[in-house]
Amino acid sequence: MSEFLRSYLTVAIFGATGCLLVGAFVGLSALVRPTRPQAQKYLTYESGVDPVGTGWSQSNIRYYVFALLFVMFDVEAVFIFPWATRLEAYGYFGLVEMAIFIFILALGLFYAWRKGVLRWV
Amino acid sequence: MEAIVFFVSAAIILAGGLGVIVLRNPVHAALSLVATLFGVAVLFIDMEAYFLAAVQVIVYAGAIVVLFLFVIMLVGVDKAEDIYAEPIIKQRQFAALAAAGMLILVALVGVAFAGDVTGQPSNEDMTISRAIENPDGTTTPAETSNINQLAEALFTDYVFAFEITALLLTIAVVGAVVLARRPKGDLQPLPDVEPSWALRKPRAVTPTEATDPSAGDDADQDPDETTVDQAATDGAETDEAKA
Amino acid sequence: MLATVLAEVAPFVRPHIDWHAVAPELTLLAVGAILTLIDIVWLERGRKLTSSLAGFGLLLPLIPIVTLAVSDSDTRVMFDGAYVIDDYSLVLKAMFLLTGYVVVLLSTNYIGEGDYWENEYYGLLVSSILGMVVMASSRDLISIFVALELLSIPAYMLATWRKRDVRSNEAGLKYYLMGVFASAIMLYGMSLVYGVAGSTLLTEINAALSEGGSSEAVVTLGIVFVVVGFAFKVSAFPFHTWSPDTYEGAPTPVTAFLAVGSKAAGFVALMSLVVVGFLGRDDVFGPLFWVLAAGSMTFGNVMALRQKNIIRLMAYSGVAQAGFMLAPLAVAGTGGTSADTSISAILTYLLIYAAMNLGAFAVIISVARKTETAELESYNGLFTTAPVLAVFMTLFLASLAGIPPLGGWFAKFSVFTALTNADTGAGYALAVVAAINAVVAFGYYGRLALRMWVEEPYLGDKAPIKVPVALGFALVLTAVITVAFGVYPPVATHFTDVTLVAGV
Repeated sequence: MSEFLRSYLTVAIFGATGCLLVGAFVGLSALVRPTRPQAQKYLTYESGVDPVGTGWSQSNIRYYVFALLFVMFDVEAVFIFPWATRLEAYGYFGLVEMAIFIFILALGLFYAWRKGVLRWV
Repeated sequence: MEAIVFFVSAAIILAGGLGVIVLRNPVHAALSLVATLFGVAVLFIDMEAYFLAAVQVIVYAGAIVVLFLFVIMLVGVDKAEDIYAEPIIKQRQFAALAAAGMLILVALVGVAFAGDVTGQPSNEDMTISRAIENPDGTTTPAETSNINQLAEALFTDYVFAFEITALLLTIAVVGAVVLARRPKGDLQPLPDVEPSWALRKPRAVTPTEATDPSAGDDADQDPDETTVDQAATDGAETDEAKA
Repeated sequence: MLATVLAEVAPFVRPHIDWHAVAPELTLLAVGAILTLIDIVWLERGRKLTSSLAGFGLLLPLIPIVTLAVSDSDTRVMFDGAYVIDDYSLVLKAMFLLTGYVVVLLSTNYIGEGDYWENEYYGLLVSSILGMVVMASSRDLISIFVALELLSIPAYMLATWRKRDVRSNEAGLKYYLMGVFASAIMLYGMSLVYGVAGSTLLTEINAALSEGGSSEAVVTLGIVFVVVGFAFKVSAFPFHTWSPDTYEGAPTPVTAFLAVGSKAAGFVALMSLVVVGFLGRDDVFGPLFWVLAAGSMTFGNVMALRQKNIIRLMAYSGVAQAGFMLAPLAVAGTGGTSADTSISAILTYLLIYAAMNLGAFAVIISVARKTETAELESYNGLFTTAPVLAVFMTLFLASLAGIPPLGGWFAKFSVFTALTNADTGAGYALAVVAAINAVVAFGYYGRLALRMWVEEPYLGDKAPIKVPVALGFALVLTAVITVAFGVYPPVATHFTDVTLVAGV
């Protein structure tokens, strides 16, 4: 096993311990608690508003534009991160390139904003 | 240990991939895609490319699949049983046959070419954990993390492709806005026949239809007049979102 | 800890950027940004401007291209050879820009009069052209892929621009799904090639592939997958299935753009990849291109004979023409000057094909403005109703069929020269297939011409057809180029006599 993967072994052990603990406590409580099932108790929100219809309802297309904008800036972050780890090494050149990159992306955001798709009501 | 990690994650990837095509509920299929993408991320970690692994989880397993789910919910999952219909009779059987054929073909190609289908490892000096010779004669030490090498590549040889990527993302947003926005003005019901500018398919034209006097009054419309009309609807545009 | 890591890292060397060389791309990028900004600032009020601005903006980068062409240094190389500006790429860039300009001319009235988003339309068109311009210089797998996506993704959206029309939606969706599928196959091929060569630079790939020693299966699969991915793009048989439906459903100016621009860009990528990257592996790509070319020519022509809709006819004839353009690649790797001859032949064909095909689409759009249908029948008696259009259409059809002394004749002639020049059995066999197909093509082009000259007018309607100024200008421009290249071929060869192998 390489040194690199060994450090991830800690993560694996930690995760396994976590699962084990949760399982143990849930199992323990299942053993000792009384069970009297009622229909009311199986509702999604037992003490809230009664759920109406199914969970599979059709959503509005406007969510999609938001989701896409999110993906766009997610990808932007992916590109900015390597630059940020050694910011000083790339100097003004890196800064200008990144500025152009962000400017082009900002155009897209401004466009969406100006076209009113970000307005909800 | 690397081998164990590889086989476990490979199994996850294959199971996830299988789930994507086998599961009937599109939401379940999308979730099983998450398993595949997660498995790929583990493979990246196995190869010590941990930045790629993080990107894989953040962008693909996170954002892209969310986008998939939005599209699925947009169509409405309750309408999903339409996929049981077979536009082409026996298409499932044909698809299975074709898939099996492709597999056999690929296997045959592998066998035909002396058996080594997996190829040689790429050039030794490409491996991340080894030292790299830069074109200018300097040597990048082995300890440089691959995230820095990635940035280096991004700002040297691929700086042009990098800027174009920004343009691609912007185009994606423009496209999404164009597709998601409603057309200007009041919505007409979807036309049974073609709108005036559409070019018809052969079967759509019968002699009675073709001589229809109502067809094609738009063609001779004064361009200026059209523009004025659109300027008038301009004000109503911001109201679109309310609908 | 951090300090020690930083100390070990080599200093960052700023890449050399030749600003003169990238001036066309930067100009185009600026034009795209300005178009978007106009839309952001003025919204619909900017609508009147965008069409003429896009046309002007597409002509503007021609200035740096001309200064680059006359400048002393022949070849400018950037990014270790990933981006090369030579005569070959300059000719192509000029062609893409002019194609874009003609498409803007074709679109002006169509998009202006319909209920379309005009600003976005031109913005996306300019982005797509930028992708093609970048493609012409790319000599690196990553640059080629990014350029391909940049030219394709706007095209997917443009194909579905008639949003309320089911057929246009079908066109866009089919184009998108097929295009993405092709990209995936191609990317897989590229990853295999990269795995073997250890570099994304085409020159280094060529060195690694020619050297041998690497796995035959992986190299073969890699090359085949990459070529197949681009075969989708150029709609070569058997990867053409999207093209008739997409061409029919998309707005007609976009169809013209897809049929000329994005097809040419696919060929550019194929030429760069094959001649710079895979040239040493003639045994792999030679037979592949032979089959693709012969299949495309034959199948495209046979299907075109049966069409009743002019757009579908143009789509299938486009498949056949793609076959002609693929043919020289089948013999590109046979040694000697064959690579250069093939490149010159394809380049000549691309230039002439762009002119005559755009011209034909200009006529189709003009006629459809009145008849509002794409039935072949609607061309009956066009000579009576619109004699000038009929003459133009006959000219373009004759050129597409390859009748001397029009451009199409010289295009086919260069392909035959390239095929026979290779002096191989396969080359001669392909030349025979091409010759037979050139004759078959007369069938449908000639029948369409006959309809215009002989038959009674469509529906007895003898009202004349009004042609807007922009469309008329596009017609004259394409007709002049079509005739000039055919009557005096040195005009064409002056531009297309380039070399791709020596330039790198």
